[in-house]
Amino acid sequence: MYLLRAVLLAGLLAPAAAVAADYVGSNVCKTCHPDVWANFYRNPHFKSVASGKEAPENTGCESCHGPGKAHVEARGGKATIIAFSQLSAEKTLDACLRCHSQTMSRANIRRSTHTQQDVVCSTCHSIHKSPAPKFLLAKAQTDLCYGCHSSVRAQFSMPFKHRVNEGTVQCTDCHNPHGAFDPTWRAATRPRMVEQSQANEEACLKCHIDKRGPFVYEHGSVRVEGCETCHSPHGSMNARLLRRPVTLTLCLECHNGQGTFGSFGPKFNSGVQKPPSDHNLADPRYRNCTSCHVRIHGSNTSEFFFR
Amino acid sequence: MKKIIILLISGIVYAQPPVAPTTGEQVGDPRGENTGEYNIRNSFELGYRFATAGGDFDMYRSTVNYTDGIRLLSSSLSIQSRDGHGRWFDSLQLNTQGLGNDPYESATLRVEKNRLYRYDMIWRLNDYYNPSLTIANGEHFKSTSRIWQDHDLTLFPQSNLKFFLGYSRNEENGPALTTIQLFDFRGDTFPLFADVRRQQNEYRVGGEINFLGFRLNVLRGWEDFKEDTPTDILASTAAFRIGIDGNAVPLGEPGDNGLNTLNAYHSSQPYHGTSPYWRVGLFREGKRFYAVNARFTYVAGSRNFIDNEVSGGSTTSGAPATRQILVFGDARRPAANGNLNVTLFPASFFTITNQTTVNNIRMQGNALFSEIDNGVAITPFIPFTLLGIRTIANGTDAELRYKKRFSVHTGYHYSDRRIQVIDGQQNAGLPAPAPPNNIPITQFNHQHAGTLGVRIRPVAGLTILADGEIGRADAPYTPISDRNYTVFRARAEYKRKTWRASVYEKTDYNTNSVSLTSYASRSRNFGADASWTPNDWFAIDAGYTKLHLNTLGGLDFFAAGQATQFNSLYISNIHTASLGARFSIAKKADVFVGYSHSQDVGDGRSTADGLPLGAGTATVLDPFRAVQTFPLKFVSPEARLSVRIHRQLRWNVGYQYYGYNEQFTNFQDFHAHTGYSSLLWSF
Repeated sequence: MYLLRAVLLAGLLAPAAAVAADYVGSNVCKTCHPDVWANFYRNPHFKSVASGKEAPENTGCESCHGPGKAHVEARGGKATIIAFSQLSAEKTLDACLRCHSQTMSRANIRRSTHTQQDVVCSTCHSIHKSPAPKFLLAKAQTDLCYGCHSSVRAQFSMPFKHRVNEGTVQCTDCHNPHGAFDPTWRAATRPRMVEQSQANEEACLKCHIDKRGPFVYEHGSVRVEGCETCHSPHGSMNARLLRRPVTLTLCLECHNGQGTFGSFGPKFNSGVQKPPSDHNLADPRYRNCTSCHVRIHGSNTSEFFFR
Repeated sequence: MKKIIILLISGIVYAQPPVAPTTGEQVGDPRGENTGEYNIRNSFELGYRFATAGGDFDMYRSTVNYTDGIRLLSSSLSIQSRDGHGRWFDSLQLNTQGLGNDPYESATLRVEKNRLYRYDMIWRLNDYYNPSLTIANGEHFKSTSRIWQDHDLTLFPQSNLKFFLGYSRNEENGPALTTIQLFDFRGDTFPLFADVRRQQNEYRVGGEINFLGFRLNVLRGWEDFKEDTPTDILASTAAFRIGIDGNAVPLGEPGDNGLNTLNAYHSSQPYHGTSPYWRVGLFREGKRFYAVNARFTYVAGSRNFIDNEVSGGSTTSGAPATRQILVFGDARRPAANGNLNVTLFPASFFTITNQTTVNNIRMQGNALFSEIDNGVAITPFIPFTLLGIRTIANGTDAELRYKKRFSVHTGYHYSDRRIQVIDGQQNAGLPAPAPPNNIPITQFNHQHAGTLGVRIRPVAGLTILADGEIGRADAPYTPISDRNYTVFRARAEYKRKTWRASVYEKTDYNTNSVSLTSYASRSRNFGADASWTPNDWFAIDAGYTKLHLNTLGGLDFFAAGQATQFNSLYISNIHTASLGARFSIAKKADVFVGYSHSQDVGDGRSTADGLPLGAGTATVLDPFRAVQTFPLKFVSPEARLSVRIHRQLRWNVGYQYYGYNEQFTNFQDFHAHTGYSSLLWSF
């Protein structure tokens, strides 16, 4: 027990190992790095310098790169200072989270899929070379995401898509690249990294306000399994981002009355209700389900979403 | 500086945005102008956009939608305090895109003052046009504008006690066509005109305090929503039947006796409500030993509505028909959610995470439904519905790292879901009916999933990732839900200073047995891309992706009085390719050329069963077979030239072609030539 306490205490005191005298101040740094310093006032991190109230370990260059005394005495060199190009992914994360863990939106960064795959802060953010001061992204957001998510880029090249390439919608409108809380739909395990609308609803409802409900008659699959049951959210070759080119098969693949799917009460206790016998699907009028079932996302007046 | 340029160029060619606004090309002094205590950088790109389209103009508007006219294609204003002590603000950043009349417009603003406040604004407009011909044969046309705006103000952003204020507004307005089916089960479908009017306002207030190393974040929000979309008859005697070929079948066609008519119709459905919510979060980064966060959210949604529908016409037998339906009531949806996530770092090379989630959502509604048919009132009834979903999920993940070279991660996730449904009704004024009408039907669903993955860095610059997930669920909710699923992903990336290449592969198989047949979906994605930026005047990027999906499902329906069962095999093979290259000429001009190609080759047939869509109607099943593969092609080459004509001025010109070609039919094909010419002025 004493050993454990000693280890914990040593760990807690570790940051204090660098004494104040080891910090030389940003004015010394700019002597050799004038190009970085010249535009640093545009950098959000300049706040720590402008403030004038921060401790040396939280001010300017040394707040990220560590005490510079040894670096100055050695006349430079990556071995004598914290150089992010030399850091492992987890060390980079540790360094940034010293200050940037203070936001609810980053509360899950340690367990996010990105972190698990070594995609950490410096993968997307460029502190000194960012073309835009807001968020200090290394590139435009779509380019950053497409860099790894090629299949998503392919989906946004399809004829029907959310207008991400056009600039109206951003990846971060729906996703939290720093890690999200578990989804509140499906089985609460997948999809990961999806941000939630309002306090806990599916991200789609952030914009598609009319689909939120509540309705007297909910379309069960929408609420239980989410919008992806019928739609491909990134992009699709089919109109309205549907998973099938026509509603005919889209609906009937679930509404086939088979198995024990769904839970529709004593009237339809065997599978998801299939079209009744008066729906003669040999007649084309019955092949466009949403022509009659117009309120397919939910209705207040019709059990069958007619109005 | 050279590295910065290379960084910018390499970013430009990844995505293929629309040809305008011009991206990446810089003009003016990158250091800006010093004015008083501020440094200012400002640029405007003003130009003329042109567009011509041939073929189906509706489909062009649905997928591209650019039109002619003068546009402020983009603008940027950056004002920075040089010493970090501006009088009213230290930093202001304003960016706009597409202002003037583009279908996609946006503006973002950030203003902040060190330690005092930070204000963020996003304004967006999206003109949405969708004829949706393949979905509902044109009846569900939409031409609406959606405008969003989000305002967030943070007070004392760097202190231990901060406050949040927020406001968001989301509006959708415009004309639409919808449909209604009247007056009996065999009645026709009639088009209706709808004037879409939806509006949401959301107000947020919250705060965050730091105590004992923990951060407590509290947010209270109110979302108000109202929809007042009246629908009216489009034209009298506008009855038609729906053909699968995308055309309305006029009166008098075989099978339609022409007697079913709609001569008068009006529906008003005001739908108003509010969704107040709470979000409480508690989190802590425990130095290097642990990280923990907990969150509780509660949303109490409620909506009130009235539906007043009046219609007049004749039934399928020609009998005069009038109908009035009056429904009013309310619906509620309280949703509570709790999360607890704990991450432990027992050693520098080992991380273990456990996450627990509890969701409980209950949707319930009731209404009074009354109907008068031909002056005779049917007995009013009160429906009562409930859909309750309770989910408890827990997962544990562990990661073991060996230096920077190797890591392995594994996890186990469990989910327990209960779905409860009540679907009952009672006649107004009478006691509740005897069971089983109002008995809750309950279904339990459990899912177990395991994950395993590795990350290897055998040599500098090369990263190989591979992981898999196997899941098993009982009693899935729908035939296409996850049941026995297997996901495998692999990715390899090799990155050097001037080039990078990567390949990836992902398979996602799900098998969900039903008694009719086995529902199975097989998704296989493969992709490869590479970029090369050898110097500051040349960059090239290319990528290829194949998205394969085949699903086998069981259909069970009635056709011509006979119960019919049919295996639905849907096949989609989508190939997408992109190419972008950029080069500079004598540091005076920048040229960008790009090409984007998306093609679904289906299962290899150019037509369904050798027949054009809709032509295969010899048997009942032909139309079903016809929609199992939908080959189509969407291509878009583009080119852009940007010439520096002055220290602060650039002239840009660009051209982009769009070609949409459905190979199963050509009703919706289009081609379009779009382009622009602009001046980018920076000062």
